[in-house]
Amino acid sequence: MSAHFIKESDFKAFVSALIKAKPVYGPTAKRSKFVFSRLESPEQLRLDYDVTLLPPKKLFFPTSQDLVRFDGDKFEACVQPEEKILFGVHFYDVKALDMTDLLFREKNPDWNYLAHRECTTLVASSIQAVAPRAFWGSVGREVQPKGHDAFLTKIQGGFVYEPRTPKGEALLKHGAFGKASDEQVAEARKANDDIKKRCPQELKKPSASIARKVRAAFDDETLWDKLAEDCFSCGSCNTVCPTCYCFDVQDVWNVDQKSGARTRTWDACLTREFAEVSLGAGAHENFRESRGERFRHRIMRKAVYLNEKLGGPACVGCGRCSSACTSDIADPVRVIEQIVKA
Amino acid sequence: MAKPKVAFFDFACCEGCQIEFTNYGEPAFLELIKHVDVVEFREAMSEKTKDPIDIAFIEGSFTREGDRARLEEIRKRAKIVIAYGQCATTAGINALKNHTADYRKEVYGKDAGMPHLDSQKAQPISAVIKVDYNAFGCPVNKVEVLQIVSHLLHGKEPVIPDYPVCVECKRRETICRYEEGDHCMGQTARAGCGAPCPADGIPCEACRGFVSDANQAALKKALIQKAGFSEARAEGKSRMFTANQRGDAK
Repeated sequence: MSAHFIKESDFKAFVSALIKAKPVYGPTAKRSKFVFSRLESPEQLRLDYDVTLLPPKKLFFPTSQDLVRFDGDKFEACVQPEEKILFGVHFYDVKALDMTDLLFREKNPDWNYLAHRECTTLVASSIQAVAPRAFWGSVGREVQPKGHDAFLTKIQGGFVYEPRTPKGEALLKHGAFGKASDEQVAEARKANDDIKKRCPQELKKPSASIARKVRAAFDDETLWDKLAEDCFSCGSCNTVCPTCYCFDVQDVWNVDQKSGARTRTWDACLTREFAEVSLGAGAHENFRESRGERFRHRIMRKAVYLNEKLGGPACVGCGRCSSACTSDIADPVRVIEQIVKA
Repeated sequence: MAKPKVAFFDFACCEGCQIEFTNYGEPAFLELIKHVDVVEFREAMSEKTKDPIDIAFIEGSFTREGDRARLEEIRKRAKIVIAYGQCATTAGINALKNHTADYRKEVYGKDAGMPHLDSQKAQPISAVIKVDYNAFGCPVNKVEVLQIVSHLLHGKEPVIPDYPVCVECKRRETICRYEEGDHCMGQTARAGCGAPCPADGIPCEACRGFVSDANQAALKKALIQKAGFSEARAEGKSRMFTANQRGDAK
C-alpha cells in the first residue's frame, strides 16, 4: 500500500473529522503522565507522549469487565463492542497487542476481548519522546510489530501515513492527504530507525541467549530470594504490563439478591493470594508461597515460557514495570543483567 | 426460608462503622432489609435480643477483661461472627495505646481517673472468640459489606482482598504518590477500598491494616530512600492503623 503525507496545518482537521466519524481513543495528558482516553477534541491528543500509565490493552480487556448479567434464571452475555479508532499507539504496544490477540484467540477464543479488538481500527504512531526506563530498542528484535491498520510518522512539516489494511486506508478520506514523496518515506523510515537507538537502557544479549540463561537460573533460590528481597507483592509490575493477561472471575449480586453480574478483573501473579488454591474442606495451599518464587515466575513468563508461542519474549521494553515498582527491583534489564552475571 | 437474623454489637470503638451501615441510602437499605431481619442495631432501633442469631456484626476492640463474657455469649448464639471494622479485626487505632505508658493521663488529663477508662491491651476480637470473616477498614467499605452479606445469603465464601492498595491505584491509573515526591503506604496496605485517597492526592495510611505478608522492612526503606523520611519517622510511620500487625506489636 502506498504512503501518504498530511501537512502539520491540516492534521487537526483530520483528527476532528475522525472524532466526528467514530469514537477515537488516544494518548492524553494526566498531569505529568499520559493515559489512553477518549478524545473530545484534537487538542487533547498528545502524540509527543513518552509512555502511558496503562497500556492500550485496557480498551479491549478492561480492568474490570462484566461477562454475564443475570436476573433470577435469566442471563445474557455482556459483549457490546464499540466501533472505534485507537490512535497513536507506539510500536512496542502494537507488538504487545499482537501478543494478547494471539493469547486470547488460541484454543477457546475469548470473545469478550476479541469482539472489542476486531471492531477497532488501530493506528500506530512514531515515538517522539523516550520514556525514562524504555528499552524497546533492544528487546525481542526478532518480533516485528504487526496487527495495526496504519502507521503514522512525524516528519518535518507533517506526518507520513502508511496504511497496512483496508481499515487503515479507509481513514484517508477524513484528511487532506497527498502522496508522500520518496524523500518523505525515507525520512519517516530514518526517524523510526533512529529513535530505537535512543533508549536509556539496553539488553545486551539476543532473546534466545537470555532465555537460556534465565531458565538455567531456575533452581538458584538464593538468587531469586535476593532479587525479591524488597518486593511488596503489590502486583504493580503485572498490572501495568502490556502482555500480562491473567484475570479473576467473581459473581456479584445486586442488593435485590436476585440479579447481578459475573465480572472479570485483572489479576496479578506477584500478589500472594494469586497462587492460593483450595484443597477442599476449608483448607488451602499456596503453590508460590515465597516472594522469590513469585518474582521468578514473572521473569520466566516474560523471558522464557512464552517465547516459542510468541516468536520472542513476552516483553516489549515499554519500561512501565520499572517505573511502577516502588522498590525499583522490577526492571527487566537490571534483573536479566544480574541473572546473567550470577 | 426465614430471613436470616442479623445483629450488631459494639465494644471499644466509635460506632462509625455501624453508622456506615445506615449510609446505603433509603432505596438500597429498604431493599436490603427485605432479605435480612435486623434484630439488634442500636444506631437505628431500640429493640434488643437474647435469641439465637444468624450473623453477628461485632464492632470494636477487646480492651477489658470484663467484656470477655459478653463476647463469648454472642459467639454462643451466633452462627456467623463478622469482625466489623478495623477496631474489631486488628484493634486498629485503639492498639496505639499498647505503645503508650500512660495513655489515660496523656489523653484525658484531669479526667484520667474515671473508672471506664481503666482498660488493658487493645486486641482484636479474634483474641477472645472465633471470627468467621473480617470486614476491614476505618470505616468499613459499605459496598464490600453488602457483598459479604450477599455472598453469605447465597452460601458462598465472601471474597476479601489480601493484596496491596497499589493494585487498585494502578488499575485506575492513579499517578503514584512517590512519583509526585510524596510518600505512601499502599504497598503494604490491604486493598478493597478502591484506592480513593491516592486518587485524590492523599497518601494511603493503611486504614484496612497490612496485607498478611506485608514487607515492613521494604516499606521503611522506601519511606527513607524515596520519600526522604528520617529513620525514626519511617520506623513509626505505619503504626496508626497497624500497631498490632507490626513487627514490634505488644
